[in-house]
This record gives sequence, C-alpha cells and structure tokens, in this order.
Amino acid sequence: MSNIRDANLHSDEEDDDDFGEEEEDTRPEKRQRRAPSDDEDEEEEDEDEDAPKPSGRDKSRNKSNGANEDDEIEDLEDEDDDEDEDDDEDEDDEGPRRRRGQRRAHNPFLDTMAEVDEDDEVDDEEDDEMEADFIAPGDDDEALRHRAGDDRLHRQLDRQNQADFAEDLEKVAADIRDRHGGRRGHRLGDASTVTPKRLLLPSVNDPSIWGVKCKPGKEKEAVFTIMKKVQDMKGTRNALNIISVLERGQSMQGFIYVEARRQADVLNALTNIPNVYARSGMILVPVDEMPDLLRVQKKAEITPGTFVRFKRGKYQGDLAQVVDVEQSGQILNIRAVPRIDYGARDDGSDPTGKRKRSVGTVRPPQRLFSEAEARKYHERDLTSSRRGIFNFQGETYEGGYLVKDVRVTALQLENVNPKLEEVTKFASTGDGNESLDLQALSQSLKASTDKYAPYQPGDMVEVYSGEQAGMVGKVTRVRADIVSMNVQEGPLKGKDIDVPFKGLRKRFKEGDHVKVMGGSRYRDEVGMVVKIVDDRVTFLSDLSMGEITVFSRDLREASDSGGMGTAAGKYDLWDLIQLNATTVACVIKIDRESLKVLDQEGATRTILPSQVAAKIPPRRKDAVATDRNGSDIRVEDTVKEIAGGENRSGVIHHLYRGFAFIHSKELQGETGGIFVARTNNLATMIAKGGRVASSGPDLSKMPEMSKKPGGNMAPPIIPRQGGRDRIIGQTVHVRQGPYKGLLGIVKDATDTTARIELHSKNKTITIEKMRLGFKEVGTGRILSYAEFVQPKKGFGDRGGSGSSYGSGNSSAGGNSWSGGRTPAGSSAWGGSRTPAGAHGGSGGGGRTPAWAGGAGDGGRTPAWASGSKTPAYGANDGSRTSDPYRDGSRTSNPYRDGSRTSDPYRGDNDGSRTSYGQPVGASGGRTPAWNPGNRTPHYGSGEPGPRDSGTAWDSGSKTPARSLSSVNDQWNDSYGNTSSTTARTPAGYNATSPEFSGGYTAATPGASGLSAPTPGGLSAPTPPVSAPTPRANVWDAPTPGGPTTAATPGASGGDTRRYYDAPTPQAGGYSSAKTPGAWGNDDEDDAPGYN
Amino acid sequence: MSSANPDYKWRPVPTNHFRYLRACMVCAVVLTLDEFTRKGCPNCHPVLDYTTGSDLAQMCTSPIYEGCISIDKPTESWIAKWLRLDKYVPGVYATKVVGDLPEDALDYLNAENIEYIPRDGSENNLE
Repeated sequence: MSNIRDANLHSDEEDDDDFGEEEEDTRPEKRQRRAPSDDEDEEEEDEDEDAPKPSGRDKSRNKSNGANEDDEIEDLEDEDDDEDEDDDEDEDDEGPRRRRGQRRAHNPFLDTMAEVDEDDEVDDEEDDEMEADFIAPGDDDEALRHRAGDDRLHRQLDRQNQADFAEDLEKVAADIRDRHGGRRGHRLGDASTVTPKRLLLPSVNDPSIWGVKCKPGKEKEAVFTIMKKVQDMKGTRNALNIISVLERGQSMQGFIYVEARRQADVLNALTNIPNVYARSGMILVPVDEMPDLLRVQKKAEITPGTFVRFKRGKYQGDLAQVVDVEQSGQILNIRAVPRIDYGARDDGSDPTGKRKRSVGTVRPPQRLFSEAEARKYHERDLTSSRRGIFNFQGETYEGGYLVKDVRVTALQLENVNPKLEEVTKFASTGDGNESLDLQALSQSLKASTDKYAPYQPGDMVEVYSGEQAGMVGKVTRVRADIVSMNVQEGPLKGKDIDVPFKGLRKRFKEGDHVKVMGGSRYRDEVGMVVKIVDDRVTFLSDLSMGEITVFSRDLREASDSGGMGTAAGKYDLWDLIQLNATTVACVIKIDRESLKVLDQEGATRTILPSQVAAKIPPRRKDAVATDRNGSDIRVEDTVKEIAGGENRSGVIHHLYRGFAFIHSKELQGETGGIFVARTNNLATMIAKGGRVASSGPDLSKMPEMSKKPGGNMAPPIIPRQGGRDRIIGQTVHVRQGPYKGLLGIVKDATDTTARIELHSKNKTITIEKMRLGFKEVGTGRILSYAEFVQPKKGFGDRGGSGSSYGSGNSSAGGNSWSGGRTPAGSSAWGGSRTPAGAHGGSGGGGRTPAWAGGAGDGGRTPAWASGSKTPAYGANDGSRTSDPYRDGSRTSNPYRDGSRTSDPYRGDNDGSRTSYGQPVGASGGRTPAWNPGNRTPHYGSGEPGPRDSGTAWDSGSKTPARSLSSVNDQWNDSYGNTSSTTARTPAGYNATSPEFSGGYTAATPGASGLSAPTPGGLSAPTPPVSAPTPRANVWDAPTPGGPTTAATPGASGGDTRRYYDAPTPQAGGYSSAKTPGAWGNDDEDDAPGYN
Repeated sequence: MSSANPDYKWRPVPTNHFRYLRACMVCAVVLTLDEFTRKGCPNCHPVLDYTTGSDLAQMCTSPIYEGCISIDKPTESWIAKWLRLDKYVPGVYATKVVGDLPEDALDYLNAENIEYIPRDGSENNLE
C-alpha cells in the first residue's frame, strides 16, 4: 500500500506547481531527513491521504507538502477561511519559520499520525463532516470547533518554540560565559558539568583496563616511568597508544593498571619498563570492577576529641586524645596520661632526659603529672607558665596530662578501640568533674572494626542515627558491616531493613542477663542489667556483685541455656590449670560462667575462664614425686599428710612440681575435698596398683638409671666442693668428642660442664667435665675428672677398702693392687667372677655369654654383665652387680657409711637391697660408690698401671690381665684356676670393657662402676692409661692403707659377706676360690711377677 | 573544552624527588612543590595562583595522596572521566588527596562558580 501510494505521491508531486518558495526550500530538507525511515513516509502518506481528500487542490497540495501538522492546519485554514485573508497572510508569514523550526527540532509525526489513524477509523464520518464543513465554509462555529480540536497542536508548537528559545538563550549565555569567563571554569568542574557518578559507569565503549604485575613498592616509579616513555615516544612512529596508567600501591600492591584500547598497546608500552612484569601475563579488569579499582575510602576523620594511639616511643600503645588538629591535618595536638619517672636521674646531670628514656628498661606507669613530685626531684626543670600548665623536662603538662604535638604518622588513627577503663583516665578534667565525652568516644569506636563480630543474628538492635533512627529490630543477618534487621516495632514492623554498623547499637532492657563479649577487661563477666544510659550499660555482675559499666556493643544477652558450653565448658572438675607462669590451680567448682579453683598455695579463688592461661593436660601417669620418706609417689596413690598439715589423707589427683593436689573423701566442704600439699610433707599409704611401697626409691625405674646405667655413679656423684671450682684454670686435655686430643684451659665450669679455651684453636668450647683429662701436677699423668676432684678422699677410701683387700693381697704383695683394686676389683672380680663362676656354673657355659647368662640367672653376675652393658645393667640391677662389688667394696662400707651422705639412699639400699645398698647403691650414689667405681676403672687402670709401673700391680693387674684379650685367658686361667670362673671373667670383662671405657669417659661407669670397674680395668686400657697412673697412685696409697687396715679381713670379710649374701653361688664359687685364696691364686696365676 | 593551558608539558620527576611530590587538592595533579610554586597548577592556575609566593601552594596541595595515575589522553580515558579529570592536562594525578582546602581557596573557587570536588574519598558518601 505504501508503495503504491508512494508512487502516486511522487507523480503528484511532480505535478505540483503551487508551492511557495519556503515550501520548496524546506521540502528537500524534509525529504532528506525522512529518507532513512520508511515508516515516516508511510505515516506521512497516510496523513496526506486523509487530510486533503476534501478538495482536489488541497489534496495535491497536501500530498506534496507532506502531512505536517502545520501544513494541515494551514490547509484547513486556507480552506476554511477564505475570508480571513489577513489571518492567512499572517499565518503564511509565520509559516516558514515555524515549519523550519518545527521540522528541525520537533519531530514528527508520531503524535499526529496517531491522531490521524484514529481518524481513519472513523473515516467515513469524518469525511462527511469535513465535506459538510467545506460545504458550509462560512460556518464559524464549525471552523472554531475544528480549530479547537487542533489547539493541542498549537500548544505543542508553542511549547516547542519556547523551549527552542530558552535553549537559544542558554546557548547565548554559555557563549558569553565562555567568552568572558574563560573556559577554565569548565575544566575545574563547573557546577553545571558535574555529572553524577552513576552516569559515569564504564561502558563497553570505554577503554579496557589491564592489570600487570609489578615489583611491590615500585608502582609509583613505574607509573612515572611509563608516563615519561609515553611522552618521549609521542610524535614518533612508535607512539604508545595507552591512555593512562594507574597505581594503587596502598590497596593493590604489586600491580599497576594500564588503560588502553588494545592489549597489544599495553604490552608495547610496558616493554623495557623496569620492575614491571608485563610478560608474566596481564589481567583484564572486568568492566563492573573498574569503579572498585578507583574506589577511594575516606579515612576516619580526625576531629578534636577522638582517640588515637601512639605507635612508638615511650608511650607506645597508650591511648591519647586529640585536642586539636593543625590545619594541614598533619600534626595533631594530643593529650595523654604521662609516664614520668620522677626519681630517675636524680643527679640532674642530664638535662635532656633523652638518655634516660633510651636506657630505661622499665617504663614508668601511667600517672597524671604531679607538680609536687616534679618539684621535689627536678625543680630546675619545672616551669609553670599558667596555673595548671607546667613545663617539665621539655614537655608540657596541662591539668595533669601530657600535651604534645605529634605527627599523624606517629599515631595510630584507626582501630583504636579504646577501652572504657582507658577512656576513663581522660574523663577527669581539671575541674574535678567526671565527664566522659561519649560523643568523642563513640567516634573513635565507630571506625574500629573488631575482631569479633559485634552483632550476631538474634541480637536486638536499635538504630540511633540516620533516617531510620529509632528503629528496633532483631538481627537476621550480618554481612561485612551491614546488618540486616527485622523491624520489631513501629510502622515498619515486620519489614527487613539493612543498616550499617555505625548507626546501630544493641538494645537491652533492664533486667536482661548479659555477658561481656570483648573489648574490655570485663570480658566474660555476666550480670543483670540495671541501668542503661545511651551507649553505656551498667550491670550487676554475678561474679563480683559489683556494678560494671561497659558499652552495649560489648555485651550480648547471656543465653540461659548452654551459655557455659563455651567458656567454662572447656574445663572439668579437678582439671589442673595454669593461671600464670608460676601458679597452677585445680578446678574445684564450675559455675555457669566462672571457675572456682584451688591454687598451689592452698588459696581458693574464683576466676573467669578467660583468665586461665592454659589447661595442663593430665600428666603422664608415671609422673613421680618423692614423699617425705623418699618413696616415690604418683598420681592415684593414697597419701597422708605427715608434716605441717592436719593429717589429712587422700588420693593424689595431680602432681605438679613439688605440689600434690589431693582429693580427700572425708574432707568435703568448700574445696570439694581437694587440698594441696607439698609432696615432701606426704607419706605414702597405699601405692596404686599394689606397687611395692618400698622404703626406697625403685632405682631401676629411675629415669637416669634406665637411661644410662651407672649414671648414678657417675658425674652426679661427684660432690661439688664449695667455692670456686677447682678445675678452673687447669690445663686439660679433651678426651672425647670432636675436640678429642686438644689441650685447653678451663675458663669456667658448672657442675657438669666446663668451658675450655683451646690452645690450638681460638675457640672456647663447652664440654662435659667427664670428657676431660687433667694433668696431674708433678707427675704429668692424666687424671679423669673424678680423680682430679677427689683424689685424696678416694684414696683414703681405697685405703680402707684397699686395706681389706689389701689385707689379703697386700700381704701377698700383690696387695697393693689387690688392695686398691681388690676391693673394687677384687670384690668385683671376686664377687662377680666368682659368682659368675659360681653361678656360672654357667660359667662353664661360656665366657661372656655364659657370664651374662649366668649373671642374669644368678642375678648378680648378670648384674655384672649388665653392669658392663648398659642395658643389661639396667635390666639387672645395678644392685646386683654391686653385690659383687659390694662385697668387694664392702670394705669400703665404712667408707660409704661415713662418706655417704645420702641417708635416704643408704636407707633405701639397706632397706631394699642389702647388697646393693652396701656397695654400690650407696657407693654408687655416693662418693664411695664412686670410689669403687672409680677404682674399678682405676682398677682397670691400675691394671694397666701395673704394667706400667707396679709389679705388685701386675699381679693385680694381671688378673685383669688385663689383657683384655688375653685377659680372658689369663683370667680364665686365673679364674679357671680358682674356678670355672675363668670363662666368665673374661666374659665379664669383655663385656665390661666396652662399658668400661664408656664408663670411664662417661658416667656410665658408675653403674658399670660396679661391674665396669673390672672391665674398665680390663678393657679400658686407654682410659686406663690415664686412669692407671692415678690408680696406681691410688693403689699405692691404698695398699699401704690396706695393709694397715688389714685389708684381708676386710677383703675376706667382704668376700665372705658376699658370699654370705650371695651365698650359694658365690659362696660356692668363692668359698672355694675365696678371696684370699682366689686372689692369691689370681695373683699368682696371673702375676707371677707379682708374687 | 580541552586544556586551557596547552603549553603545559609534563616533565618527568626523578625518583629521588618523589618525596617532594604533592597533589593539588582541587584537581589532584601530582607535581613537586617546586613546580607548583614556579609554574602554578596547570589546571587551576589562574583561579588558584600558586606562584605568588604566598603559602597558597602549601595550603592547597597535600603530600598525602594515594594512587598515582598517569593520564596521557584525558579525553579518552574512562579513568579520567570517572575521577573527573577528563578536562585536565595530561599528567600524573592522584586518586585520593588527603587534606582540606583552606577557606579562602574555597572562596576563590566559588567566585568562579566552580564546584570543588573533594578528592579525599568523601565523595563516595554522596552516592
């Protein structure tokens, strides 16, 4: 249809001659404009068709004109009003202008069209009407009516014109402004040019932004460098096509962002820019994230009254209040509670006060400035300008507060989180009124983001600022710092609204049961709300029954159920908890929110779970303490208080250091039956599980024992003489470890270690004393530490013991050795061997093994073996070994007795193992023991010694024959002679030897001491070497002693005893071989020379 | 609408002079204080004349600023548009300038019917 019409139209147009000039002018323009839109054409044509129908002339005109409103109007007017020529004229005059304007600005026909379309529907009628009109053109009313219908169009036109005119004016004004006001106004953001941000959101037509990795901290530099490059390349062929480069060093460290149209441009621009890693890939920033990239967060504004914290210096961490802000905003005038040490630097020689601060290790407590004190100590430094304002040591104090200008950078402005108790220090103003600037406080608090979420779903909150102030609701969700709450009251009831944290506070009612969540030292306090003033809630604490005031933000409603599941639930009744570094306590009662505990001093106190430093996990069940009698006690033993107490008894619940927390069934009451006692005030009544409540400690279970056999005889045994350690200043010889063989001087020493300055290396090392060899003055021989430290004594002992031995031997001549050794050695030997032998019977079996076996079986022997071998040893019981020893050493008993300090020990020994006790145990523990131990080694050494020097020895030594290797044989021989022992001995020896050496050097010996000795002697050679000499000496000495004392008896006695003690086997073996005999034999056998 | 000061040419700043850099609180351009006082702010110059030797330059520029952007084509750049820098000269600008413009500077701007856009982030609150 439109096409057809078009055709018509065109033909019509061609025919059309009636156009005014204006129309001719406008037409092409209109055509052009319309060209793109067929629809418009169509519309136009429709209109053309409709309107003009009535008259042929009009029709053609209309058609050619196109159906503009104006046209239509004009046409109608023309048609209607031939009479009104003037009007027409006027209209015509206006016509062109109007049309032009309209065509230009007003567009189109859409409205008209619609109207016409409507007309179409009633086409016929209208046509009729129109015709009627035309038929009666003179009818003014009709014409008017018609016009009225078109009035709308007129008005529209008028409006349009007005708008155009206004626009024009604006334009003119703008031009004028531009001309006269200059254009910079625009550049600076003329009010009229500020576009809302939301209209600036990036679109797809905007350039893209790529993020590129960059060396952290070098972002700014990179931006400048790129800018320079861009500028340098400008105008060249390689001009860079990037648009901008962005850096957000503070929030997006390690990235720069480049705005460009193409990624290639970015790459191109970034090549050869230092610190920018364009090749490692770039990230296209999504369009919707671009605004985030440029988001600028305003920092909390610092206004007078807000609280800040010092970042460093003497006042580090202290709260300060801003008094004033310098205009630049860079310097704050603050006040803080001073920390002055008035007493320091009393001499007044250092007027700066600076040194003091740097040197001071303890910072003075916070206290308001005291004029009196300042005057008292440093009157010179004190000046007062006005009342209440002082200058003291370069600082100004006003109303007691330190007032100071501080750079912003030295202060922490965010997350200050002032605590109420801190803030209250600022509350007292000079006039004595307590006024807390809540406004300021809340300002400081607002910005602070807490570690804990202050609002949780279910909390009742109240909006107190902003549009929704007064709203009360229940928190339904918390996201970041936005709370979604369901309004509970008021017109919005039931609605969900989102409110930021800063406008919220929690709402409580008086009578609510609340709990402090954090942010103050009252954490975990629980109580009932009694007063609410603004943000501050005062509640009556359940715990202290005192009133506590905290911010509502720190409170939560304490749920009546399960409130305890959190804090107190972590602890159980009778748990042991750590209160601080030195205090432990036992939980004796658990309240809803608190714990009642009994501390180690016996005091009960009520604490909050939050005050518990740690829970001490139940000790290993093998935790052991020693009671008053020296028996070990452990958890679950029943004990009784025997000293300093009320004779309470009960079951041990916890052992901690020297304290036992005991639960008594009879003792109920405030502590729930728990009392605390020092373990050394306790006596064991029933040991748990039927453990033998021995009167002495179970040495086999003592940790050191099991760990290092003989440990008890080793270093620890050497009593430290008071005063300066004798070894300091000695030239020593390192005998073991990485520095073995080096010489050095002892610079310092502890009980067990020494600091050695090496001669060969400029170095000071710390080493165990036992690893040292001491040169004996005069002889140049090398002594072990033990020997070095207690030579004389040892000798004496030996003498004693030796004597016993000696007795036997001495007489023999070999005595010396036997004397010295004997005791140990002999005894040991004798004891051991014999027994071994005896037991050994086993001996028969084989040597070492036999021995060991035998020993094991026999007990003793094994002891021996064990002695030699740590494990074995342990296993065996050092005691056994000792038996032999003892026997041997018994002689030394006197010694021991005398020397042994350790009563308990002995007691134990006695109690538990006679054998043991006598000899080693005791001796083991103590010097004597040592001696024996030592001896043995000595012994060993002695043996070697013999080789070296003493013939007598030899005899003695022979036995040991020391020949470690040969020993066996010899031994065998000797022993063999004596008894089957032979085998054993060797065995024993062999076994020992290793130990021995070990023993020697290391503590082990102790244990081995018993057993070891022998071996030591045997195997020990090396050490022996060192040892020997001394021994020799020792021996030498002993011997004499021995003889004098009449070692024999001792020896014999010893042996015999042993035998007695260890009867059967030994006895047998011994008896036959008996000391004397045996010895004699041995001596003879081994050391004929001896004889 | 483009730069009223087409003669302005951005000059590179050596790294060791970074510490003298300040940002104009009005237009956020980042220059050394020396440049501000000798040549004035390339964008604000006639309105805020930093070259008079008064401390206006000190007062109206801030050493505390964040996020440098070098803008080569302000008219094309979305970043410039977003930050309202699109009518300024090419150069280095800051995303955030901390500081308060002194009253008299505000008066100058008002007299010229220029709306001052604070660049310290407070604008966000208006959204």
